[in-house]
Amino acid sequence: MSGPLLEIKNLHVSVEEKAILKGISLTIEKGQVHALMGPNGSGKSTLSHVLMGHPKYQVTKGQILYKGEDITGLKTDARARAGIFLAFQYPTAIPGVSVANFLRTAMKARFGEGYQPKEFRKQLTATMATLEIPEDFATRAVNDGFSGGEKKRHEILQMSLLKPELAVLDETDSGLDIDALRTVAEGINRMRGPALGVLLITHYQRILNYIQPDVVHVFINGRIIESGGKELALELERKGYAPYEEKTQGERQEVPHEAGH
Amino acid sequence: MEEVLKRLGPESSSRLLRLRREGWEKFNSLPWPLKTDEEWRRTDPDSFRWEPAGFDPKEALQVSFETPAPEWIRSGVIVTDLSTALRQFPDLMEKHLFRTGRPLGLAKHVSLHEALWRQGVFVFVPDGVKIPTPLRVRISESAGALAFFPHVVIVMGRRSEATLIDERIGAAGGGNPAFSDEMVEISVGEEGTLRYIHLQQWGENISEIYTQRTEIARDASFLNIHAALGAKATKAQIETILQEKGAQADLLGVLFGSDSQHFDFHTVQDHRSGQTRSDLLYKSALKDSSKAVYTGLIRIEKQAQKSDAYQANRNLLLSDGASADSVPMLEILADDVRCTHGVAVGPVDQDQIYYLNSRGLAPAEAEHLIVEGFFEQILQRIPAEELRERLMSELKRRLNGA
Ligand SMILES: Nc1ncnc2c1ncn2[C@@H]1O[C@H](COP(=O)(O)OP(=O)(O)OP(=O)(O)O)[C@@H](O)[C@H]1O
Ligand SMILES: [Mg+2]
Repeated sequence: MSGPLLEIKNLHVSVEEKAILKGISLTIEKGQVHALMGPNGSGKSTLSHVLMGHPKYQVTKGQILYKGEDITGLKTDARARAGIFLAFQYPTAIPGVSVANFLRTAMKARFGEGYQPKEFRKQLTATMATLEIPEDFATRAVNDGFSGGEKKRHEILQMSLLKPELAVLDETDSGLDIDALRTVAEGINRMRGPALGVLLITHYQRILNYIQPDVVHVFINGRIIESGGKELALELERKGYAPYEEKTQGERQEVPHEAGH
Repeated sequence: MEEVLKRLGPESSSRLLRLRREGWEKFNSLPWPLKTDEEWRRTDPDSFRWEPAGFDPKEALQVSFETPAPEWIRSGVIVTDLSTALRQFPDLMEKHLFRTGRPLGLAKHVSLHEALWRQGVFVFVPDGVKIPTPLRVRISESAGALAFFPHVVIVMGRRSEATLIDERIGAAGGGNPAFSDEMVEISVGEEGTLRYIHLQQWGENISEIYTQRTEIARDASFLNIHAALGAKATKAQIETILQEKGAQADLLGVLFGSDSQHFDFHTVQDHRSGQTRSDLLYKSALKDSSKAVYTGLIRIEKQAQKSDAYQANRNLLLSDGASADSVPMLEILADDVRCTHGVAVGPVDQDQIYYLNSRGLAPAEAEHLIVEGFFEQILQRIPAEELRERLMSELKRRLNGA
């Protein structure tokens, strides 16, 4: 019997001495999609980078178990090779490095011996086609001058090729037009299956119409305040975060909360 | 030494012989540069000190070149070594050798070159001749040589067009400490186009003085890609003179340093006429305790209105011991011009490393890919696939520490 894919236990995280995550517990089983919704600056991206092992974020308390093992001390690249993937909210440009070269290098790193150079081109072309990405995209420099939508498609292209077991999607739906949203959501749905767990960070319940979540979490000021089913997202959309923020008022003098901007 | 000077060249012209003598006199009358001289503040002049005692004027270099196809020879194209050129084309030599004017600085070393120049290359493309495939020349060090003074003359006629790939190769297995004092003269005639790719791969036994001076005539364009990968120490001065209206220059530099390599590049973009354009980008990546010094002067003369001049110098420091100094200098005498300059010195961007780490690349692998990308922006402009790939694989090899 195997345990959960991801188990976060009472996680506390600081950046430059400032506490951002204040005791998060979250369990994602294989095959599940969890949606995480919360106001600007509440710490969602911080959580995503901590899962990816960003060196700037310090875990001051708690544990992250991935497939039963504590990965708190594991470096970012090792986590990636172990099957953790982060679709960045703000992907980084790598000038002069073509998408094709980048993806080839990443696939070699991810699959090691299992990487099949002869298959790469075919795989790339086919996957690009399903995401409706034009062919000349492969020769462009990574995220360099990409539009917001192109960046997000490119993140999902990477996810499709790198076949993660745990995918953290940080606002992958932001900045997409209606057609692009559907294409990207379909791309994610194609990967859904018993081997993949997803943490989907979003501001809008709209994407959840395409990607049905198993659990929705409300995330405020570094904490999960409430968890529930899909209906929670609809309720949030109607009422906003105000009713939930009241619950966290005791925290306010500790860390001043900036209202949504 | 008088005897040595006479024996040096087969040239019969009294002008050239006089130039040698005058160079020799100037060389002797000038003191060796000091660390306190403005020009030498960031580079140790002692690395470039050379004593003529015991100088042996024997051939110290191998000059090789691809002979152009017969159709080009019939059109009057010349690609040959300098000694042959002096014998076969004395009139052209008289007209073009030492005719682009004296380099601005490095007086002691320029004088020495004028006295002792020997071996080199002559490339001549007549008016109206456009050559689609690259011309290739190469100057290689012979093992055991102590000093060499190569000279390159490139003459592009009116409405001519060519690409020249010019390489410097060190002797296999290194060699003695040696000194190179080189001069390159280039002129591009009206509406002509020259793409000049200079690839310096001297061994780490060589200290190199390199001066290059280019004159660009009306509506002519010049693309220069200078790749400096080798040598123990290089002091280079690359002057580009936009002589007439409509002249254009794209000046690109790629420097890669490791161990204790030292590069000192001084560039001059000299706009002498209106409606001229120059665009310069020099990039260096530095490992270990290597160092790059860049000083770049943009000069726009009073009559050179409506000129555009750009200059950028970017340096990636790949280790704590590596360093780069970058100093832009402007002398803008015209008032209706566009001019920008920018400098960057720093380590590889940590956000880029993190992004690549998040895709499974180990930190060193991530850094290599970023550095390759950094140079790719320049290498992609090399109009010869084979050379581009060779240069990239050489850079990869150096990055990996081989
Ligand atoms: N590297 C950092 N240095 C300093 N402060 C940081 C850093 N990273 C995040 N923070 C702070 O942590 C808080 C949470 O930021 P985070 O990016 O995690 O929010 P978010 O929930 O993803 O917001 P958004 O919805 O706007 O994307 C913010 O106040 C932010 O300024
Ligand atoms: Mg965020």
